[in-house]
Amino acid sequence: MNPLPNAFSRRTLLLGAGSTAALLALPACGGSSTETPTGNLSSGGDPWKQFSGTSINFISENTSPSAAIAANLAPFEKLTGIKVNVQQMDLDKVVEKCKLDFSSGTAQNHVIYADPFQVLAPLSEGLADLTPLIASKDYPPVEKGIEDFIPAQLQSLGRYLDEEKLFALPYDAPTMILHYRKDLFEKYGPKMKSDLGFDPTPGENTTWEQYFQMAEWFNQNAKSDVKYGIGCQAKQHDSLQCDFSNLLWAYGGDYFEKGQELGRLSSEDPGKVTVNSEAGVAAATFYKKLVKVAHPSSTTWDWTGLADAFVAGELAMCVNWHEFAAGEEKAFPGKIGYSVLPKGPVRRAHNFGGTGIGINANAKDKELGAAWLFVNWATSPETQLMSLGSKVGGGTPTRTSVYELPEVKAEVTKSPSKYPNIRTAPAVLEAWKEENIGLRPKVPQWVELDTIIFTELSKMLTQDGDPAATMAAMQDQMTKAMG
Amino acid sequence: MSAAVEARPTAEPRPQLRGKPTKERHGFRTFEFALMAPALLVLGLLSLIPFVMLIAMSFSKVKTLGGVSLEFAGLDNWTAVLGDGSVWASWGRSLVYFSSIVILEMALGFVFAVILHNLLRGRSVMLSLVLLPMFLAPVMVGLLGRFMLDSTIGLYAQLMQALGLDTDVFAKTSTALPAVIMIDVWEWTPLVALIMLAGLTSVPPATLEAASVDGAGFLRRLFFIAVPQMMPVILVALLVRSMDAIRYYDIITATTNGGPADSTKIIPIRLYEMAFRFNNQIGRAAVVGLTMLVFSIVLANIFVKVFGEKGAAHVTNVAGDKH
Repeated sequence: MNPLPNAFSRRTLLLGAGSTAALLALPACGGSSTETPTGNLSSGGDPWKQFSGTSINFISENTSPSAAIAANLAPFEKLTGIKVNVQQMDLDKVVEKCKLDFSSGTAQNHVIYADPFQVLAPLSEGLADLTPLIASKDYPPVEKGIEDFIPAQLQSLGRYLDEEKLFALPYDAPTMILHYRKDLFEKYGPKMKSDLGFDPTPGENTTWEQYFQMAEWFNQNAKSDVKYGIGCQAKQHDSLQCDFSNLLWAYGGDYFEKGQELGRLSSEDPGKVTVNSEAGVAAATFYKKLVKVAHPSSTTWDWTGLADAFVAGELAMCVNWHEFAAGEEKAFPGKIGYSVLPKGPVRRAHNFGGTGIGINANAKDKELGAAWLFVNWATSPETQLMSLGSKVGGGTPTRTSVYELPEVKAEVTKSPSKYPNIRTAPAVLEAWKEENIGLRPKVPQWVELDTIIFTELSKMLTQDGDPAATMAAMQDQMTKAMG
Repeated sequence: MSAAVEARPTAEPRPQLRGKPTKERHGFRTFEFALMAPALLVLGLLSLIPFVMLIAMSFSKVKTLGGVSLEFAGLDNWTAVLGDGSVWASWGRSLVYFSSIVILEMALGFVFAVILHNLLRGRSVMLSLVLLPMFLAPVMVGLLGRFMLDSTIGLYAQLMQALGLDTDVFAKTSTALPAVIMIDVWEWTPLVALIMLAGLTSVPPATLEAASVDGAGFLRRLFFIAVPQMMPVILVALLVRSMDAIRYYDIITATTNGGPADSTKIIPIRLYEMAFRFNNQIGRAAVVGLTMLVFSIVLANIFVKVFGEKGAAHVTNVAGDKH
């Protein structure tokens, strides 16, 4: 019996599969300048309400401001009638989902947590230019104008290659500063001063070498109060690169010839990889020395692990993102001090980890409009103030005007503070100055470079590697990765 | 009397399988194929097209923004991956990891199955307890392992410290891989035990009793009567765990992220990095994916050949002896 006289052969089957696959691989349409859709604006209605009834998704790293916004969406929903689903996850997963979303040509996620290094630089084509939306008269204006955003942050987080385009508005601004136990420094300060020969209280004059000496001193003299002087975030993870970068810049090194410029507007030609400079090797040598006196679990900690150990009272000092301050204040109310990072031979540098929020370029019509209203609202001074005082962690304002509010200024020295993160304000405002900020390069290959950097450093730290050989290997691999 | 009768049903199907294939089994022009066609079509959509895409990607520079587009790149991806020492190092670690978990899980699973099989009381309760770990999502098991072994808050870490082992197992290259291996073994040994228990239960008691009457001790009955009859079940357990081990990802990501010093960066982690983290390296990821596929197929064939034939030979021998 032959019910299928003309059935397809195996070759036909494979050919068919191949053809379908080829069809699926056809390139999709390219992007164009951002539309400015309008909703129901008839009879002079409220522009905030024009997309009422729309649902949008916001994908974000699980950071303090997003936790605060997710916990307090009611004001936005009341203001606009728009429903927002906030998804929070690790940054790796955010990047992965954004790539898939941008590639598919759809807008599963409308509002994007646009990390400047992992989303903005490699995937800027997937983000909508916000400039037409900002300029449009059909939408509520950006309160106090975009000039209210801290200028260095606006450029670093929002722009990429083209000065005329703005892909994201600054949303959070975690910055690495020194966290230390004031109570321990008060108790041991005089003895430390006499033993070490300098004032140990962390501040503008502290150097990295002194930081190392203080760490050793705590290890030897304060075991009854604290296990170790310092901890590092030296896990084979992005955190290790962040921790090391502070030193690299402080010693006068950088990742590329064009240095800090690449962290601002960036450039299509970053210049040669320069990590294997004399300064780079000196920084790696010192970092290895530092990790040797740090808590032995440092090589398993990322920033969260380090913060947990600090909150558990295992460390006297650590270098970490300032947004952990809220949690630290809960554990040790009024006993934590915050300072700028120690100085290196060339300068002091604070790794800036801020992020903007932008809109998926695939978002269209009312979803695009609703996404813009959300971005506008989420970065407004009122929302930033709300986020600052949120019970679920609290973010950091990216607006100059928020720092100038009398009620905010009044909380800087209070403990317990209504806005615990603002206790770090003197340190972070100093850290954000042109001469003190540390910016990683915004190049599309950054994630790969980052992986090379933290992997080579991890080998150096856990296998007793030679710093010079480490930096040479790093240079070689980074150069290859840049093509 | 009864042994011959019992052996017949298991022995008879083999000649059919090993007999000369009939003409109807080959080709697509059959009624059976027509019945299977809808399912095959779905299967084709789900696996064949991605497979063809994967091959195409491995020879292309793949861009994903604004829709997937392929630009022919010849053997660039293949030479880049096959010439990358760190990829081979990851394969080396994968083999160590793979052999360790398969051997440990098969051995421990067998031991647990034998213990459970011989329990006279509380077998159901014990079985439920033993099976608990495998009901957890691997990423949860990874997080659990990380927290339990965390030097700040971890219970196991504190126990180890109390015993004078003041070390963080994830901090050292010598202990990180064994630690993640043990976490995987903790989670998946119960599955192997469950499969083995099913195999043990299916061994005809009369055969074991007959051996016992003939003077065979416990170990002799276990290894010379039960185990040979369990070969098809052992093969299933081996295949399930092997295929899983090759694409193992969750626990390492949740614990060590491939570190320290790449000591736990096995090949699926490299694949993930290339495909999802790095920019424009999907072509290279496709090459790694294809090599993993080839490895899986070769391995599965070896296992089927070795264990399938051993099991079949034993059944045939038993059948022959009984006759």
